[in-house]
Amino acid sequence: MNTNKIIVKNVSYLLFSLLTLILLMSLISLATGHLALTPSDIIKTVLGEGSKRNELLLFEFRLPRLAIAILAGAALAVAGTLFQGVTQNELADPGMMGINAGAGFFIVLYLTFRAQGTRSDGLWQMMTLPIAAFLGGLAAAVCIYAVAWKKGITPIRMILVGIGVNAGFGALLTILQLRMDQRAFNQVTIWLSGSIWNASWTAVGSLLFWTLILLPFSLYKAKTLNFLQLGDEMATGLGFHVEKERIKLVAIGVALAGASVSVAGGIAFLGLGAPHIARKIVGNKHQRLIPTAACMGSLILLLADMMARNIFSPTEVPVGLIVAVLGAPYFIYLLITTEA
Amino acid sequence: MMNKLLSKSFLLSAGVLLAACSNQTVKAPVDTKAPASEETGNQETTEPKTMTDGLGNEVEIPSEPEKVLASYLEDYLVALNVTPVAQWSVSNGESIQDYLQEDLMDVPLIPHDLPYESVLEYEPDLLIVRDAIEQEMYEQYAQIAPTYVLNASPTEWRATLTEMGEVLNKEEQAEMVIESYDEKAAEEAENIQAVAEGESAAAIWMVNNSLFVVHPERSSGAVMYNDLGLAVPTVVSELSSDADWAAISLEALAEMDVDHLFFINSDGPDAAIFEDRLWQNIPAVQQDQVYTFGPETSWLYYGPIASEQVMDDITESITE
Repeated sequence: MNTNKIIVKNVSYLLFSLLTLILLMSLISLATGHLALTPSDIIKTVLGEGSKRNELLLFEFRLPRLAIAILAGAALAVAGTLFQGVTQNELADPGMMGINAGAGFFIVLYLTFRAQGTRSDGLWQMMTLPIAAFLGGLAAAVCIYAVAWKKGITPIRMILVGIGVNAGFGALLTILQLRMDQRAFNQVTIWLSGSIWNASWTAVGSLLFWTLILLPFSLYKAKTLNFLQLGDEMATGLGFHVEKERIKLVAIGVALAGASVSVAGGIAFLGLGAPHIARKIVGNKHQRLIPTAACMGSLILLLADMMARNIFSPTEVPVGLIVAVLGAPYFIYLLITTEA
Repeated sequence: MMNKLLSKSFLLSAGVLLAACSNQTVKAPVDTKAPASEETGNQETTEPKTMTDGLGNEVEIPSEPEKVLASYLEDYLVALNVTPVAQWSVSNGESIQDYLQEDLMDVPLIPHDLPYESVLEYEPDLLIVRDAIEQEMYEQYAQIAPTYVLNASPTEWRATLTEMGEVLNKEEQAEMVIESYDEKAAEEAENIQAVAEGESAAAIWMVNNSLFVVHPERSSGAVMYNDLGLAVPTVVSELSSDADWAAISLEALAEMDVDHLFFINSDGPDAAIFEDRLWQNIPAVQQDQVYTFGPETSWLYYGPIASEQVMDDITESITE
């Protein structure tokens, strides 16, 4: 990880601008869609004087969606930052390393079993889904560790094995999907490509719960990540239990990715791209990097969701596809401009 | 330090929001009256009833729904004299149910996948859904209006109509429609047997140069075989598939021993198939017993109106 020159020195100023931008985008996002809302409509509705339709549109459809986009974006970005820090590789990403696939596999498995058993209510499902996702992500992480372990773990082995694990869980998912009927298959496919159109307040609550715990915790671990960056030997020499810390950090990352996958599906590229952009701006110090990446993630997902809702309005595109479409050119650009 | 920063930024951004708000309130009176109506409700005299829908949800159904939305069930609505607030369409109206347009001419279109905001746009007071949807989706729709997912199988139009009648408080009319249909069918069946006793028929649909044959118990197949008593060719009964229309090759079609061929052509008169030797050698083609219909006819659909129109098409084709 070469530290390029840092563009922005004053992080507080940057974070303030980013948050303002998020707020601005949120307002635009709330106002746009198949049914247009004027700013005055929004204000009236917020004050409780709007029409019943606008109230429903704003509070039950657009606002929870917005909240999910912001939270999931931040969660995925921070998860990506953690994985990149742990593996010391800028290309690591929960999506690429099989964490999202593992989480997705467990969720689909869970939903399949639920479909056969008795129907459970939405709240129960919303609270248990992230746990299923977390377990799935954890299973993937355990697989990676078990295979990559060779008297300790080297970051590069971890990534390579992760890619294999990703393929493995992808295959398992395909097997599961092939046994489904057409309708369930379509549903799962859409969901896996990342979709937040079913956002409900219970989903927001569950995601909020996890991010409120895990984001500050990640920030608290920023120093550890900085030490890991020095290399295993140096970090050990400085008195760090490298393996123990790594496992802790991976667990946080898995939980973040799992929580976001459970409500927003498999959104690729975000965990890779958001920390990447953030690193270009504020450099490698994780106290600066983590909050910046979180804001970047929120901003990107917000923008992508706005596009997903409006490009073919009223029909929607899975937001994950938009993120991928936006992300791919960026990475091609990176590949072209970066020296070997 | 970070926390302090964050809270500072939040406060500041809240300030920005407030500023933005006060700016906008000035021109509020200009554009507030969106097409929103709240006049309905509280007018019902009879009690709303509760029914268990196809997903197992207890749905409280308004006794006199005025703005019904029942996408892809418009056939039944028309038969029950209910005008929906919006009608089914695909790709921005590229495909609609043409055969119902006499009754639905002025009804606006809604995309077939029923995006939430499109549904909200029409502010329905009752939503009837044909196919089982995800419970999560159901809950979103239910926020907009009472949502009822049908129990009846979409392939059984009589059961569907009966259930729609129950939901819409029009049981008697539903029964009447079925009775008069069955009466007419019995009559026409006799007419057909008089001129074509024991003769077979099949309905073939051509779209994008592919051929499909109708399921013998579904859609127009049910009308041909069950209602009008035409014989099912062996090939058709062998194509046991769960689809309403099963794919069939031109070779299999050429070998089909069928007296009357109803051909629904979605590709137009210049389709390549008509040049094909195999097509030209089909017995029904050679004997000029192919009756062609456009995709705007009701052959591909379900419902009392679709079935009756198909019945008229068949009797006209065979008896004249």
